[in-house]
Amino acid sequence: MRTAKTIFPIVVFLAGIILYLPVNFTTAPIAKPQTHVVEIKQMKFNPAELTVNKGDTVVFVNKDVLRHDATETTGKSWKSPALASGQSWKVVATKSASYYCSFHPVMKGKIIVK
Amino acid sequence: MKTFKSLTGWAASIVFCISMFHLPAFAQEKPTLSDAEVASVAVVANQIDINYAKLAKEKSKNADVLKFAETMASDHKAVIDQAVALVTKLGVTPKDNAVSKQLLSDADKTMKTLRTKSGRAFDKAYIDNEVAYHKAVISAVEGLLIPESENAELKALLQSIVPALNAHLEHAQMVQKQFSGK
Ligand SMILES: [Cu+2]
Repeated sequence: MRTAKTIFPIVVFLAGIILYLPVNFTTAPIAKPQTHVVEIKQMKFNPAELTVNKGDTVVFVNKDVLRHDATETTGKSWKSPALASGQSWKVVATKSASYYCSFHPVMKGKIIVK
Repeated sequence: MKTFKSLTGWAASIVFCISMFHLPAFAQEKPTLSDAEVASVAVVANQIDINYAKLAKEKSKNADVLKFAETMASDHKAVIDQAVALVTKLGVTPKDNAVSKQLLSDADKTMKTLRTKSGRAFDKAYIDNEVAYHKAVISAVEGLLIPESENAELKALLQSIVPALNAHLEHAQMVQKQFSGK
């Protein structure tokens, strides 16, 4: 009886640690990466402003008749190839970026990494 | 009752005056076009801008002008391909007409002027013309070709190219800024 009484809190304590730890690891900063779609249609990126988590994938889909691309504004980060009608291209978002279409520089968009 | 009568009379005379001044001009600006003629105007208008772009690629050394011309050649070609595919499907043969002939003879004059220029003067003249030309084409598409087209698919195609024409106009205006100096 005496042994059981002393052991019980220890068991509860250990169980707590064991149960708590994995939960803590899976929910907090490392969420499962998601995929977001930016449609290029009627000379616009849609949505023009997209908020994502770090590590998420952004897919650009050209639904226009004309060719377009997505070019990160500073020119130092990423640039899609020319996307013909129906083609798509993806990038993994590691930091916030502004981008534009190099064929039609008036087309602009933004990816915000939370 | 009396006030009402005189008010309507007043309104009617105003409407009458406005229409007297505006109707003849309006009628002149809006010829009647069949779908075959609308298709011809659309193809000719796009081909003209491709020709301007070809000339720019021969004559210009300015990176922004060249990039713009490259986009014009590619986009207007895509629009022509789309228009040709549609008229082929509809069994319509584009038919030239007063509007398409006027466009061609105006473009001929502009091409001659552009050919006489070189360097920065050419770049400026080319871009100024692109701004003016896209403005004119946008108003022709919206004010004449769309209202004149009877076939729903032809109308939809014309409506779908307006955003591209507007983007081209803004792009041209962006490039134009670097020549606003003297
Ligand atoms: Cu574009």
